[in-house]
Amino acid sequence: MQIIARETLIGKRIAKLDAPEKASGKTRYIHDLDLPGQLYGKILRSGRVHAKILRIDTSKAKALPGVHAVITAADVPWQRPIGVARDHLPLKTDRVRSPRDEIAAVAAQSEEIAQAALRLIEVEYEDLPVLTDPLDALAPDAPLIHPEPHGADGGTEHLKPGAPVAYSGRPDNLAMTFDYEQGDVARGEADSDLVVEDTFRLHYVTHCCMGVSGIIAEFDSSGNLTMYSNTQVPFLHKREFAEILGMDPARIRIIQPPIGGGFGSKLDIYPFEPICVFLARATGRPVKLVFSREEEFLASPTRQPVILKLRSGCRRDGTLTFRAVETIHDNGAYTSWGATTPFVMMQTVSSLYRVPHCSYHTKAVYTNNPYAGSFRGYGNLQATFAVESHMDRMADALGIDPLEFRLKNAQDPGEVTPQGMQFKTCGLKECLKSAAELGDYQAKRRAYAALQAEPGRFKRGVGLASMLHVGGGAKIYPSDGCGTILKMDDFGAVTLITGASEIGQGSETVLAQLVCEELGLPLSAVRVVNNDTEITPWDVGVHASRTTFIGGNSAIGAARKARAKILDAAAKQTGLPAQALDLRAGQIVEERSGNPLLSLAKLIRSLHFSDKAELVMTTHYYEPPSHHQDRQFKGDVSAAYAWASQVVEVEVDTETGAVRLLKVSGAHDVGRVLNRLGIEGQIEGGIVMGQGYALTEELIVEQGRIRNPAFRDYKLVTAPEIPEIAVRFVETLDGEGPQGAKGVGEAPAICIAAATANAIENATGVRILALPFTPEKVYRALREER
Amino acid sequence: MAEIERVLAPASLDEAAEALAAGEATLLAGGTDLMPASHAGKVRFAPMLINLRRIAELSGIAVEDGELRIGTLVTIAELLGDEAVRERCPILAEAADHFASPQIRNAATIGGNLCNASPAGDMLVPLLAAGARVELASKPDGTLVRRVLPLEEFLVGPGRTRRRPDELLATVRVPAAAPDAIWRFFKSGTRPALDISAVSIGLLARKAGNALHEVRIALGAVAPTVVRARAAEATLEGRVLNPETMEAAACAARDEVHPISDVRASAWYRKELIHNMLRRMLSDVAET
Repeated sequence: MQIIARETLIGKRIAKLDAPEKASGKTRYIHDLDLPGQLYGKILRSGRVHAKILRIDTSKAKALPGVHAVITAADVPWQRPIGVARDHLPLKTDRVRSPRDEIAAVAAQSEEIAQAALRLIEVEYEDLPVLTDPLDALAPDAPLIHPEPHGADGGTEHLKPGAPVAYSGRPDNLAMTFDYEQGDVARGEADSDLVVEDTFRLHYVTHCCMGVSGIIAEFDSSGNLTMYSNTQVPFLHKREFAEILGMDPARIRIIQPPIGGGFGSKLDIYPFEPICVFLARATGRPVKLVFSREEEFLASPTRQPVILKLRSGCRRDGTLTFRAVETIHDNGAYTSWGATTPFVMMQTVSSLYRVPHCSYHTKAVYTNNPYAGSFRGYGNLQATFAVESHMDRMADALGIDPLEFRLKNAQDPGEVTPQGMQFKTCGLKECLKSAAELGDYQAKRRAYAALQAEPGRFKRGVGLASMLHVGGGAKIYPSDGCGTILKMDDFGAVTLITGASEIGQGSETVLAQLVCEELGLPLSAVRVVNNDTEITPWDVGVHASRTTFIGGNSAIGAARKARAKILDAAAKQTGLPAQALDLRAGQIVEERSGNPLLSLAKLIRSLHFSDKAELVMTTHYYEPPSHHQDRQFKGDVSAAYAWASQVVEVEVDTETGAVRLLKVSGAHDVGRVLNRLGIEGQIEGGIVMGQGYALTEELIVEQGRIRNPAFRDYKLVTAPEIPEIAVRFVETLDGEGPQGAKGVGEAPAICIAAATANAIENATGVRILALPFTPEKVYRALREER
Repeated sequence: MAEIERVLAPASLDEAAEALAAGEATLLAGGTDLMPASHAGKVRFAPMLINLRRIAELSGIAVEDGELRIGTLVTIAELLGDEAVRERCPILAEAADHFASPQIRNAATIGGNLCNASPAGDMLVPLLAAGARVELASKPDGTLVRRVLPLEEFLVGPGRTRRRPDELLATVRVPAAAPDAIWRFFKSGTRPALDISAVSIGLLARKAGNALHEVRIALGAVAPTVVRARAAEATLEGRVLNPETMEAAACAARDEVHPISDVRASAWYRKELIHNMLRRMLSDVAET
C-alpha cells in the first residue's frame, strides 16, 4: 500500500488561480459585459470650478433620436446625499463646487448618441469666488463651499416639497477635525535636548487602476435592483445604496465582475453609481456607465493631499521625547474617505516608535479642489514621510547612526502603546537590521556622505525608513468579520463561498490554499465563489490589508468544521479515533503511518446516500479579537500589526535633478509567507507604487482644474525605471493570523517616499520636504542650497 | 466635431494628391497623434478622411545623391533599425531610440511627427540639426508637382506648417553626415521612456582637432517650433573646445531661448537644462 506523506502548500510559489484567464485576455471585466436591451449612460459635468446653476435645458437632448432619458436633479427630487459626511448629492441642484460636478445624465442606445446628447444640454451658470488653497478657506471671511441652505446665497426652493435634506451645510469650511493627545507634549518638549520642526507638503496622486470605473444597473419587473459593480465593499454598499435610493436593502443585489484594480478607490460610492441607477429606473432598461480614461482622472478620487507640520524631540542619548503634528487636509469639494486618513496617520505618529508624549491635530478643509478617497496606505505614506524624515534629521543632529537611532526607539513584541495598540508579535527590529544588511546601509551611508562635497555630476545615497500598519483587519465598522460557506460535492471537490472580494490582490488563491491545507486537497479541487451578495455571506470589504487575515481565518474555520465532520464519520467507519486520522491527497489516512484507509469522495458519498442523508457543508463567521477605538482614538483596532523597513539607494543627477532608484532592499514582517509568488508580486507592486508617489506621479491641480488628466502627462513609473528589488520576509508567526500570517497589502508602498527623501539627503546634503521628487523640484532644491 | 463623410484609402501618391485637390481632408498615417487628439476633442475632422497607409511609394528608405530619402510613412521603429540611417544620420537613429515606447514606434511615422509640428516632437530636433528638407507633393492642375522646403521653413508654429491643404508630405531628405561629423542628442523628461520632452537638444558639427566647424544646434520644447541656437552656434564656430568656449556656448543658448512654463517644466528649469546639457554634450565631445 502507498504511504501518503503530509504535504503543505504554505510558503510555496503558487500562480494565481485567475492568472490563465487574465494572461490570455479571456477575463470578462465590466467593460466586456453587455445585457440584452442595455442602454449606455453618460454624465454631463460642470466644467466650472465654483458656480451657481441658473438654468438647465435638456429639451434638445431629449429630442435626439436614440435618447431614452435625460435626467437632472429636478427629475430625482428624492435623491439623497452620498459620501462619508453625506455632503454630496449625486446630481447637483443649485450649485457646482468643482469641474467634475454632475449636472445631468443621459441614457441612449449607443455611447455616441449619449455623447452627442450631452452636447445638446444647455446650462447657464453664474461663477462664484473660487477657493483652491485650504489655508485661504480657513480665513474667517472665506466664501463657503457648503453654505447652510438658509445662508446668504442659499435657498432651498430647488428641493421639491417633501425631499429629504439629510445634509444641512456648514457655517465654515471645516469638513472634519481630528484631535488626539497622549502624555503631555509640553513636558516632553521640556525634557528634550533637541527639537526639530518642519512643514511637509504631500501632493495629489491617483490610483490609475487599469480597469476604469464602471457599473451596470438593472431593475427587474418586481423592482429588484441588480448592480454589476467594481466595488471593494459590496455589503456596505448594499446597505448604503438602499439608504440613498430609499429602497429595501433586500431588493438590492451586487454582482462584482472581475475587478481591474482597486487600491482603495472603490471603497466609497461615487455619484456615477446612483446616477446610473436613476437612469435604469427612468428607462426601465439595463444601463451601463463606464468612464473614459480622462473621466477616470477627472472624477475618481485621489490620495489625500496634506500640509503636515511636525515637531519632534529627543534627548541627547537618542531617546524620543515627544511628537506634535498639525495637519491641514485639503478636503476638496466633498468628503470621502481621504478626510478620515488621520485614523491611520496618528498610529504612525504615536506608535511606529516609542514616544511618550504625542499630539495630533487635523483640520480637513473644504475647497473647490478634487476630493480624496481611500488609497493603499490610507494616510500612512504621508505620515511616514514626515516621521521618518525627522528620524534621520534627529539622528544626524545628534551624531548617531540612523539605524542605531531607530533601533533604540523601536517597538518590541509585547508592547502596549499609549494609543492602546498591542503588539503581540513585532518584527520591527529584525526588519530594520535585515533591510540594513540587505542594502549595505551603514557602510554605504558613510561612504556616500563623505563624497557629497566631491565634484561630479552623479551623487549616490542610501536612505532607510520603516512603517507600521494594521495587519489583522481594522475594527472601524460594527463588525470587522467575514463569513464563509464551504460545500463539498460527492466527488470530494470544494466550493468555497466567501464574502471576501478579489480585486487582483490574490485572495482567491490564498483562501483556496488555506482550505486545501485543512482538507488535504490539491488546489485544483477548490473553486472560489466570491462575487455576488445574493450568494456570499457578509464581509466588511477589501480594505485595511485585511482579506488574507480575516477571510483566511473565516475559510479555515469553515474547513476545520468540514474536516471534523469527515474525520468523525471516518472514525465510525474505520473504528479508529478521529485524532488518529488525517486527510491527505483526497484520502483518509492513518495520521502516524500515512496508510490510506478510505477515499474522501467515497466517504462523502456514503454520508450523502445513507439513511441520514447528510451533506458536508459548513459555515463559519470570523470576527477578529480587536476593539473599536474610544472617542479619544485609543484602542487595539487590529488583531495584528505589520512592520517593514526599506533601504532605498538612489543616484541623483546634479545637472538635471533627475533621481534614479538603483535598489530597494526591504524586510517585511508578514507573520508568515502563505503564497511566496503572490506576496513577492504584491510587495514588488507596492514598491513601484511607492516609487511613483515619490518620484514621478502628480495630479497637477491649478485653480481647481486638473491639468494632466491623461497618462501622457500623469507619469506612472514604467518598466525601465523599476529598480533592483530585494526582499526578505521576517516570519513572526502571529498567533491569531491564518497559519501565522498578517496582512501585507498596503505595507510595501508606505515607506518608499520617506526612504527616498533620506537617500537624496545622503547623496546631496539637501533635504526636500515636499513630494514628488521630480527632476525640476530636486534641481531647484540643489540650486537653492548652493 | 464635424462628421466624417468619406474615408479614402488611396493606393498611390498620385491618387492621394488627386483626392486632396478635390477638397479638404484629414490625413491619417500612424494615428498616434490624431487618435488621442480626436479623443480629447481637439481635432476638427474634415469631411474626408484619407488613410495614407496603403501608399507603397511613401514607404522605404533610400540613398540618392548622397542624401537619405525617407518616405513619409517610415515608422520610427524602421528608422531605428535601418543601417543607412545609422550610418548617414546617426543622430536620427539616436533620437528614434528615445521616441515614446516600442508600441508607438511601430505605428508612428516620420511624416506624421513632422506634420504634427509639436515643438517637443522627437524627430524635429535631429532633423533640424541635420539640415533636413521636406518634399511636398500636390496635383493642382492634374499633374503631380513636388516642391522642396528646408525643415526650418516648413515649420511655422505649434501644429502649424507650410503644407498647403492640397499637399502631402511625401519624402524627408537628409544630407549624409560628413565623415568627421560629431553628433549628440539629449532629451529630458520625468522618466527615461514614454515621455514628452521638457527640453531636447541636437548637436551636429564637424570636428577637426579639438575645433568645431559647421556647428548646428537644434533645441526642442523651448519655443513655438524647434529652433536653431544660432548665437550658441556662432560662439562655437571654428573655436577649440575648452571650458571657456563651452560655457560661453551654453550661456548663449540659455539666453537666446524664451520658453514657456507648462505642466512639464517651468521656463527657468528649461533654460537651466539647455545650459547644463549643452555644456555636458560639448564636454563629452571634447573628451572623445
